[in-house]
Amino acid sequence: MDWKRTREPADAWHMTDDLHVEQGKGDPFAAAIRATRMSMIITDPRRQDNPIVFANDAFLRLTGYERHEVVGKNCRFLQGPRSDKEAIAQIRAAIANETDLSVDILNYRKDGSTFWNALYISPVSNDKGELQFFFASQLDVSDRKRSEHRITADKDRFEKAVKERTAELEAALEAQTTLLHEVDHRVKNNLQMISSLILMQSRTVSDENLKRSLGTMLERIEALSTVHRRLYQSKDVSRFDVSDFARDLISDLLTASGRSEINPTLDLEPIVIPAEKATPVALMVNELVTNALKHAFKERPDGTRSGSIGIKMSQPDGHLNIEVSDDGVGMADATGDASFGMRLIKSLARQLRAEIEWRDAGPGTRVVISMPNGPQPKGNQS
Amino acid sequence: MIEPLKVLIVEDEALLAMELETLVQDAGHSVVGWATSLAEAKDMVDTTQADIAFVDIHLTDGPTGIDVAEYIGDKNSMVVFMTANPKRIPDHFAGAIGVIAKPYTMSGLTSALRYLQEGVRRPPPTSERPAGFTLSPAFEMVWAPAA
Repeated sequence: MDWKRTREPADAWHMTDDLHVEQGKGDPFAAAIRATRMSMIITDPRRQDNPIVFANDAFLRLTGYERHEVVGKNCRFLQGPRSDKEAIAQIRAAIANETDLSVDILNYRKDGSTFWNALYISPVSNDKGELQFFFASQLDVSDRKRSEHRITADKDRFEKAVKERTAELEAALEAQTTLLHEVDHRVKNNLQMISSLILMQSRTVSDENLKRSLGTMLERIEALSTVHRRLYQSKDVSRFDVSDFARDLISDLLTASGRSEINPTLDLEPIVIPAEKATPVALMVNELVTNALKHAFKERPDGTRSGSIGIKMSQPDGHLNIEVSDDGVGMADATGDASFGMRLIKSLARQLRAEIEWRDAGPGTRVVISMPNGPQPKGNQS
Repeated sequence: MIEPLKVLIVEDEALLAMELETLVQDAGHSVVGWATSLAEAKDMVDTTQADIAFVDIHLTDGPTGIDVAEYIGDKNSMVVFMTANPKRIPDHFAGAIGVIAKPYTMSGLTSALRYLQEGVRRPPPTSERPAGFTLSPAFEMVWAPAA
């Protein structure tokens, strides 16, 4: 196609002549620009208000204008009330600074309808570096913009839904935590009440055997109390530090019995067990220590029953090992309450799948409990 | 022999107050009064001379134990909280010495009484700090400074 012979306004004829001369590429180049489906214009910044000097057919199809309506005008007629001010400012700056620009802007057709224009502007200079034209291409990206908007709207809606759900879950967790604290509070208070009842009752009893029996019961309840006091001190209520418990228990039992002549030797690794094992382990250790305190040490000529009680806790390869030892008279006779204590220990061991063994330590007795215990959690529990 | 303590009990559970009174008396101290609410406690603080008050956080009129502690603090008496929910105690402990966590054991409480007697009469206390007893940060600095 010989573009020189098409009907164009006077300016455009000069323009295409100019283009031909300046670019020196000949007809095929200009023909390609005229025929391409990509909307393109050329403006002349050397003229007043940088008017359009060339617009191809694709530009006219895109914007709905006739050629004579656009040539000679500044292309700001494409802008309208909803065109982004920021994008307009960017275009102005690119023209003023003679720089490249790629920007998406909402433009208006002749009929007032809008389209999203992926605008590309580039200055064109001659060999001497003097600005000759601005070249601009326009691509209708309304579809892309629509899906972008839809994605943004979907994302906003999704984020809002997630936010609402998170708030619901947080409220539920809050309620559950409050409930847990309330239940924990009641359990502790009730344990305290049970201890109080036994203590007050035992004071009114004159029968020594009955008093002793109530005393043993109180010790067992207090072992449970110590478990519960310790259980909710850590942040993780599902884990229980059994060595902390052992320290509390031995100091408690020694003070309660007034047996200051008994020397405790503790060798305790920090060992954490699941909360559901806390009570049976605690009761078992309580039985073994109170048993040793009551039966292991014979009265000496000076009236005292001195000796030492040891608790050792370690955890070789996935096992919890507890050793309770004394240097007393050896295996105690299982009589009366002691036989219940023994049954209790054996039943608890079965519950914990623990192996329990009484060894003659010469002097004294060494009870060794070994039970499976899972891997230790990382980090500090308290 | 250290002079025994005059103790005020602020506790809404009658049974626990009874037991505490018994254990306090067994340890050679005396109980000057028992209050179950903020109003009763204030009245008793104004009309009796107590060296130390054992204060539950939750009383018959709600979680007013903290207010009781602040009121007593203004009168220059000592306070020890007794609660099953130590997490409810504010960080500053409302001026209290510390907290005995419920459920306490008989010997735990007896040891705490001895420790507090030393602390009130001849500070700082020399006996070992009992299991289940926690000092407030302020008293920790005075009674148990890090070596």
